[in-house]
Amino acid sequence: MDHPGMVGQRPLPALEPHTAPYWRAARERRLTLQQCTRCERVQFPPEINCTHCGADEAAWIEASGRARLYTWTVCHPPLLPYFAERAPWAVAAVELEEGVRMTTQIAGIEPEQYVIGMPLVVDFEPIDDERAFVIFRPAPAEDASPTEED
Amino acid sequence: MIRNRSAIVGIAQTEYVRSIGRSERETAREVALGALADAGLAARDVDGIFYVEGQLGEATDLARRLGVDRLRAWSATSGGGGAACGPVVQAAIAVASGLCEVAVAYRARNRGAVGGRPWTKTSEAVEGWNAFQAPYGLVNPVHTIAFTARRYLHEFGAPPESFARVSVAQRRYAGKNPSAYFRDPISVEDVLASRMIADPLHLLECCPENDGACAVVITTSERARDCAQVPASILGVAQGVCSQHVPMTNLYRDDPWIWPGHVAAEDLYAMAGIGPGDVDVVQMYDMFAPVVLYGLEAYGFCGRGEAGDFVCDGHIDDIDATLPTNTAGGSLSEAYIHGFNLILEAVRQIRGTSSNQVADAEISLVAAAPVVPTSAVVLGK
Repeated sequence: MDHPGMVGQRPLPALEPHTAPYWRAARERRLTLQQCTRCERVQFPPEINCTHCGADEAAWIEASGRARLYTWTVCHPPLLPYFAERAPWAVAAVELEEGVRMTTQIAGIEPEQYVIGMPLVVDFEPIDDERAFVIFRPAPAEDASPTEED
Repeated sequence: MIRNRSAIVGIAQTEYVRSIGRSERETAREVALGALADAGLAARDVDGIFYVEGQLGEATDLARRLGVDRLRAWSATSGGGGAACGPVVQAAIAVASGLCEVAVAYRARNRGAVGGRPWTKTSEAVEGWNAFQAPYGLVNPVHTIAFTARRYLHEFGAPPESFARVSVAQRRYAGKNPSAYFRDPISVEDVLASRMIADPLHLLECCPENDGACAVVITTSERARDCAQVPASILGVAQGVCSQHVPMTNLYRDDPWIWPGHVAAEDLYAMAGIGPGDVDVVQMYDMFAPVVLYGLEAYGFCGRGEAGDFVCDGHIDDIDATLPTNTAGGSLSEAYIHGFNLILEAVRQIRGTSSNQVADAEISLVAAAPVVPTSAVVLGK
């Protein structure tokens, strides 16, 4: 399917004032989240303020990097050219130990091996000097949290 | 204040085809005039125009081409597929409050052959919350609903054929609707054998992209009595968005199964003074089949996680069923006019003129996409 305006490059996250710290930390292989200094709720994705209580600012905390697979899909064309050339393209959502969910990709296994609830650990895939994709891999057996998904 | 103060008195639609050969400006005027003629009103009677963002032309543009003498109220509703009922909501408010007396609400949408898909214009530098989705490949609307669909099946143990059953039911209704884009019967096996688009969603669990336009005319209940058709009285209207909402996935909400539709439903029933048990027939937005299940739950027709069994037990797929749903074929089979065609079918059910008429239908509910900032209308005799 030919769509004028389709981008040939992979879409990349813009560095905005409230998101740049997240992407720069990821480039340093650190997964960070915002936590409100007033209501102490953790939020994702980053915002300019706390979306739970409306406080002006949220502080950055370091996440454990432990997560469980929440859902996933495998995308087939029509797709943006970058993904179409690499189709089928798998994309997943995980739930972090801190309670928030994020869209990501699972490395190291094929979609046939995905099981909702499976334990995962964070990894990073550099984009450039200031950004890295936050991805996840199956947790090594000793890292797997003993509790099953509720 | 709004309940029973206005009514839908005219409806019109173009043909639903892949390529209509006329611009959205032209089809908007065409259906506006058609709906006025249906009502027995004239273009000079119009003093309010309400539409959905994202189409060619806007209210004052249409007013000029209709020859409107005094345009006294207009607005555009945002929210994509959730906005479908928005123009009717805004028109009902404007008419009930006296801001205007004869309002046209419309949607013209050419997407079959030449219209681009918004997702194809995804930036190479993505901003806002989508910066945390699109770069990973979650780009097309169908990807986001596939995310929710897989989780729904897992979390609630719904039968795997739940979504396919929606597609099959709506195609069956469409078979009797001469205007429908797709009319040939399909089976659950056909749906599950159709091309995978975004696992677990197949081609036949997705609506088509086509061209077409729809309009309705809304006026006061007093004036409605003098119009040419049986008025569909507006019992309730609502718009709604839940907290912590990101369109389509609701992924960042503590409870992602509370949708904008839940917010709209509560207000809709309160205004109309009814509950889900009073509704005779439903038009539930359905750009992808799972969304019908989410909507049935949001509007209280099923308990949380129970819509899969409800659909598989045959409760939506016949005019004699518990809750006949998308009786013209819906977005999946009749046409995708961003939900506006569902409003027309809701009106026909009140008039008694549907090609799948529910006997003695007195309460007819139509809801826009419950998974994005949404809107809904409930009509009565």
